[in-house]
Amino acid sequence: MNVLESLLTGLDEARRHWGQTVLSLLGLILGTGSIVTVLALFGGQTALTEQFLNEVGGRGTIIVSDRDRSAHPGARELASKRLTFKDAQFLRNRARALGAVSPGWAQQLPYRVGNTSFDGQVIGTVPDYMAINDIKPLVGRYLSDLDVRQQARVTVLGWKYADSLFGVATRAVGRLVSIGGKHYTVVGVMEREEFYFAAWEDNALEYRNERAYIPISTAIAQHSAVDHLDFLTLKARPGVGARVAQAQVRSLLYARHGVEDFDIRASGQGAGGEAGQFLLLFNFIFLVVGVVSLITGGIVIANILLASVVERVREFGTRMALGATGGAIFAHVLAEVLVVTVMGGLLGLGLGTALTGVVAHFMQMPAVVSPFIAAVSSVTALTVGLLAGLFPALRAARLSPVEALRYA
Amino acid sequence: MPAPISLIQARGLAKTYRLGQVDVAALRGVDVDVGAGEFIAITGPSGSGKSTLMHILGCLDTPSAGTYRLDGEDVGGLSGRRLAQVRNRKVGFVFQTFNLMPRLTVEENVALPLKYRGGVPRGERRTRALRLLERLGLAERIGHRPDELSGGERQRVAIARALVGEPAILMADEPTGNLDSASGAEVMRTFAELHGMGHTIVLVTHDPNVAARAERVIQMSDGRVV
Repeated sequence: MNVLESLLTGLDEARRHWGQTVLSLLGLILGTGSIVTVLALFGGQTALTEQFLNEVGGRGTIIVSDRDRSAHPGARELASKRLTFKDAQFLRNRARALGAVSPGWAQQLPYRVGNTSFDGQVIGTVPDYMAINDIKPLVGRYLSDLDVRQQARVTVLGWKYADSLFGVATRAVGRLVSIGGKHYTVVGVMEREEFYFAAWEDNALEYRNERAYIPISTAIAQHSAVDHLDFLTLKARPGVGARVAQAQVRSLLYARHGVEDFDIRASGQGAGGEAGQFLLLFNFIFLVVGVVSLITGGIVIANILLASVVERVREFGTRMALGATGGAIFAHVLAEVLVVTVMGGLLGLGLGTALTGVVAHFMQMPAVVSPFIAAVSSVTALTVGLLAGLFPALRAARLSPVEALRYA
Repeated sequence: MPAPISLIQARGLAKTYRLGQVDVAALRGVDVDVGAGEFIAITGPSGSGKSTLMHILGCLDTPSAGTYRLDGEDVGGLSGRRLAQVRNRKVGFVFQTFNLMPRLTVEENVALPLKYRGGVPRGERRTRALRLLERLGLAERIGHRPDELSGGERQRVAIARALVGEPAILMADEPTGNLDSASGAEVMRTFAELHGMGHTIVLVTHDPNVAARAERVIQMSDGRVV
């Protein structure tokens, strides 16, 4: 009996005892289905994270930050003024590798218009900030280089603040607002920014609607005792590699500070902020669920196959008495496993796709069963099925005819 | 003068099983000769070693000691694969519990040994199965499943299956053990007819009435021929 015929016999067997086949199928279908669903939801979340990071902006940027003071700082380190607006201006003039330089200053200050007042965030910044963060005004304009040069008392309000201070956001332009006790003319209102990880979650970008932008020069002059930056974000000129840009920034800043009291990193490296941490945890949980469902599926398959073989050992004994070799029995069992596995995998894929659709619909989460996910789950189901089937098949093939015939 | 054609020639067959720490001797040196065309019954009380002897003679089991030539071939040193081929070509088995494949039709059951032989085309397998079933009076049953047949019919299907490969020898282990007396008689008639056509038959039974139908009886007791 050749391999093909053994396989056909196995196929035939799988068809003839439907009850058992369906039972084995069930394990595979559920296992594969859960893997598909988990991967699709996981993929959806990852895509969403990607989208969020794009929305937030700052991708592909270079971030310069103050380094923590060393335990025993030297004279040069003590003398350094750390990162300053002047550093930023210096970089803007001298660092040819850079396309944008966005120094930042941030502070909580009281806002007031008429009887409405509250404390809120104020960002001191420059026009490059808008380009780097991919944001734009809804009405009016953003800060200009002239504003920065003249230390102009102008502000661009976040949508939410414009709305709560002036009733209707679009009417804020041209009005006066008191920020930190100084009067500023509103020259623009930013577009409302929103991003939802899930329908029931709060706007992840709401903090951006609750702030005002003022020229950094004004911020330092009016609200700070010293010239010091809270953040410094840079972007390489198009066509210039990030490494080249980073090296240039490092040598220029080192020349000014006389000590390396700053860190330079590409965005996306290091701590990704609270949102990043949360997503990391979220993805990890999904991954664990996927792996557990996979293992469960495998155990279910192996168990059912093993049981079905034990039940049929005497039948295999008879077949051996009629002249079946161990190899023929092996091929027979494996063929049955193969049929069950392929069918279970395909049906599981279908179930997983349906389940993904339902979950995505009711939980308002983005999730797509991509060809990649389909391939991964199919290969996984096949691998698990074959591994689970291999042991029972080997066991059946190794029995001696008498042992098999006498099997109780 | 040529030696008589001896199908089975076994010398000093012994079989020892290990049960936990104890060795149990099932066969203690048995010599058996069966000539072509003989109808032999191996009989004896349970535990006498008759089933073990038949398993060894049918190449389902291997002896712990002794030599065994089946149809001129020394089967002592054969691999599991070669033994499967020997069983397929030279031996036809009939079991007490019929051992038909419950999900196959009567015809498919009978053709099964030819499937394991390899190289027999589907059409020929079918033809040979049908011819045998006709000969055994089961022509109308070819499409049925075993559970749709009576016990006697099932055993005759099993006999057809044992014969389909045209084996040198037909071996039956208590073939009437699970049958009522009428069906048993019917099956024994079939064996007698096959013997009449020249088939060599070795039958294991503890029933003296069944053994009486054979030409020669090998009486076993405590692992020896008596």
